[in-house]
Amino acid sequence: MYDEIQEIKAQYPRTRSAVLPALRIAQQRYGWLTPDALREVADALDETPAFCQSVASFYDMFHLAPVGRRLVEVCTNISCALVGAQQVLEAFEQELGIRAGETTDDGQVTLRALECAGGCGWGTVVAVDHRYREPVRPEDVPAIVQEVRDGG
Amino acid sequence: MPELVTLTIDDREVQVPKGTGLVETAMGAGIEIPVFCYEPRLGPAVGACRMCLVEIEGMPKLQAGCTMTAQDGLVVRTAATSDKAAQGQNATLEFLLLNHPLDCPVCDKGGECPLQDLTFRYGPGTTRMVFPKRTFDKPIPISPTIALDRERCILCYRCTRFSEGVAEDHQLVPRNRGAQTLITTFEEEPYRAPFSGNVIELCPVGALTSTQYRFEARPWEIQNVPTVCTMCPVGCNVTVTTREGKVKRILSRNHPEVDQGWLCDKGRFAFSHLRAEDRVTQPLRRVRRRGFATISWEEALDETERVLRGAGGRIVTALSGSETIEHAYGLAKLLRTGLGAHSAVLPEETDVAIDAFRLPLSAIRGAELIVVVGDDPVAERAPVVDLWLKLARRGGAEVVTIGAAGSVLTAPGSAAQTCRELAGSGSELGRRLRESERAILIWSSPGGHGGAEIAALAGELGFAGKPGSGAFHLPATPNGRGVADAWAAASDDEGPNPEPIAVLVVSGDEAASDPHVRALAERAETVIAIVMFERVALGWADLVLPGTSYLERDGTAMNLEGRLQRLRRAAIPPVADELSWLSQLAARFGVDVSPYPAPVFEELAGTVYGGLTLGELGERAALAERAQIPAPAPDPDTEPARPSDGHYLNLLPYRPLFAGAAVERVPELQFQRPAAEVELSWDDAQRRGISSGDEVLVRSNGTSATLRARLNRRLLPGVVRIADEHARDLHATVEVTKP
Repeated sequence: MYDEIQEIKAQYPRTRSAVLPALRIAQQRYGWLTPDALREVADALDETPAFCQSVASFYDMFHLAPVGRRLVEVCTNISCALVGAQQVLEAFEQELGIRAGETTDDGQVTLRALECAGGCGWGTVVAVDHRYREPVRPEDVPAIVQEVRDGG
Repeated sequence: MPELVTLTIDDREVQVPKGTGLVETAMGAGIEIPVFCYEPRLGPAVGACRMCLVEIEGMPKLQAGCTMTAQDGLVVRTAATSDKAAQGQNATLEFLLLNHPLDCPVCDKGGECPLQDLTFRYGPGTTRMVFPKRTFDKPIPISPTIALDRERCILCYRCTRFSEGVAEDHQLVPRNRGAQTLITTFEEEPYRAPFSGNVIELCPVGALTSTQYRFEARPWEIQNVPTVCTMCPVGCNVTVTTREGKVKRILSRNHPEVDQGWLCDKGRFAFSHLRAEDRVTQPLRRVRRRGFATISWEEALDETERVLRGAGGRIVTALSGSETIEHAYGLAKLLRTGLGAHSAVLPEETDVAIDAFRLPLSAIRGAELIVVVGDDPVAERAPVVDLWLKLARRGGAEVVTIGAAGSVLTAPGSAAQTCRELAGSGSELGRRLRESERAILIWSSPGGHGGAEIAALAGELGFAGKPGSGAFHLPATPNGRGVADAWAAASDDEGPNPEPIAVLVVSGDEAASDPHVRALAERAETVIAIVMFERVALGWADLVLPGTSYLERDGTAMNLEGRLQRLRRAAIPPVADELSWLSQLAARFGVDVSPYPAPVFEELAGTVYGGLTLGELGERAALAERAQIPAPAPDPDTEPARPSDGHYLNLLPYRPLFAGAAVERVPELQFQRPAAEVELSWDDAQRRGISSGDEVLVRSNGTSATLRARLNRRLLPGVVRIADEHARDLHATVEVTKP
């Protein structure tokens, strides 16, 4: 990973600018940004782990805690909220048996509420592993969960 | 001359240079724009707290005054003349107070709290918040010296901006976003950095507090004494807070030319050494091999007199370089004129040649090219100088460090050779230094002949004729220059060769801890030690006279710039002041030493400081003009650098900032002391299959140490660096292996 990050570093005039792509590499490798992963990124960038963690914590797409194999995110920002995002989220909670922000006991699925996903014309937006489904209604939820569980 | 602009604030016309911050512009006109997050020393304004809201003609919404600069024709109304601004500030405070606990009566900040003050003047008298306030675990230890109370935090980001943009340690950071933001360190590790304590002073509320000062005093029962820190040669100006005669905390006191209001953790937190359990409070006489018996002052003076009289002038004095000038002069006068003893071990070499290239430390900020020569990290020798270098670098200056871990790598111990090369015609960097009008040289290494080396280079480069270019020598002791001046001022006689040594007088705990002084002690018939801590003198001193701390002394000291500064007594020492008993002892030898520092200074200043008076020094001492001294010729004998043959590595020991008798006696500072580590270059570590964190065996002929390896990518291959307290008996070349 050290060498990979050096390559990215070389593309920017200031090495700090490489922190987001470097964090992404680390997350792809470890699944989430473990303290050791953050230390590794920091070492490669010649920054402190605290700085890397601070940056990562600002962005929703970086995970500072373990997540499931699959990631289901429901946009609950204003446009989606107006067309029933809360009901969609609750449907997922019921179907998966967990609350938003939690991971199923088998470690398969993590459910999260998401800030605006940029699909305001097609609410409610649901992202499964960052691939959008839109619009999603509460009645669509069981099929999506089944699909996710089946590995689709 | 910068362009002047005219603007109106609260119907008053103000003229200032274009670009002046609106807060300063208003302040200059006697108008307050209240702030929390705004602090120009932290870099560009961020407008995080919204306390500074003002109404500006032509702009529909209130503006954050701190983010604006003076422009021609601007019409500004503050809360004093604008209802809209007043309502805005009132609402800002109401928001800030939503989750802020009302624990002012037990909060350390209470009584000296900007949030409390501004709420009183601009805020709502009542709250409309009917919900439970947000709570956190508290206090959270950010480090053993700093406690964090998250409930009180208003997220002004002053502390994290300091960590990121001033100290550049990037350890105290905001986590998460918006209202969920927390101030934190990585994985709750302690905030371990030399300047961490400054965040306590920057915090405008009671969120970051000092663990030493917590619940110790209320603002109305304290006294603040302006003095100068002499824990290192920078001489930062400080305010010492005392309550009932005891030192409770130390705050920075902004001297814009010296410290810019920053203070390192050693200067801030080390004061509790005053109350060390082994503090010498009575004169002691050695009994048995490792024991002391208390004696009275009368006995002590009789004994000292008897020993000194019997020495026949065969006396050697070892000084620490932490004495005040007056104290050193009193001692010198007694020993030199009263006893004809002229042999001294001065703490370090000093040379006036550096005075020809004198500049205030603040000149570093304005330099365009700075070259630091030497193997020692600047932060370990003179911490605040490192902050000036960082400020210069952020401002666009080029900072080149030449040493075993520098931006240009050289063999350890080759600083003098580097100077020679820079002075030579073949050096490109030397040419640029010569051409620049604002270039600065800094010597950060042991040796250097008290500044003569770097002064010789500055002379060769033609700095004498350039008021913007100068040179600094970072000495090892806080007041070595002043002590040497005092010693010289007392007499210019030469003495007899004190061999064998009849009496060794050791002044101060630093000299008493010095291995060279200890070696001398073994050859001396009698050792008199003037120390603060009993354990320092145990087992080798015959007579111990109690010493005092810089916080207990009145007097003067000279810092690395050559600036004479005034120390004031903040706490009454638990023992007689050195000058008072020196005066009595001197009288027995017919020598007149005043027991008070002011007449002593007057006496010696006539000889060495051109008749300067204490009054002229004031609370923020000015720097004397550059001296007109011909630059010394460079010393031709430079020690050749030791090459490494790959198997054996060159040991580069360094003296860490957090070390010494005082620091060892402060429990809260132990975490700052250097870990038992050996720094290895990447190459050397790879070759030996060592990774960071491994336990390794460092061995030299007959001695060895087990240390943890730390990889330093900046270190020259062939060199290992170890703090001297962990390097102890290791020789100059070592082997490093995995056990």
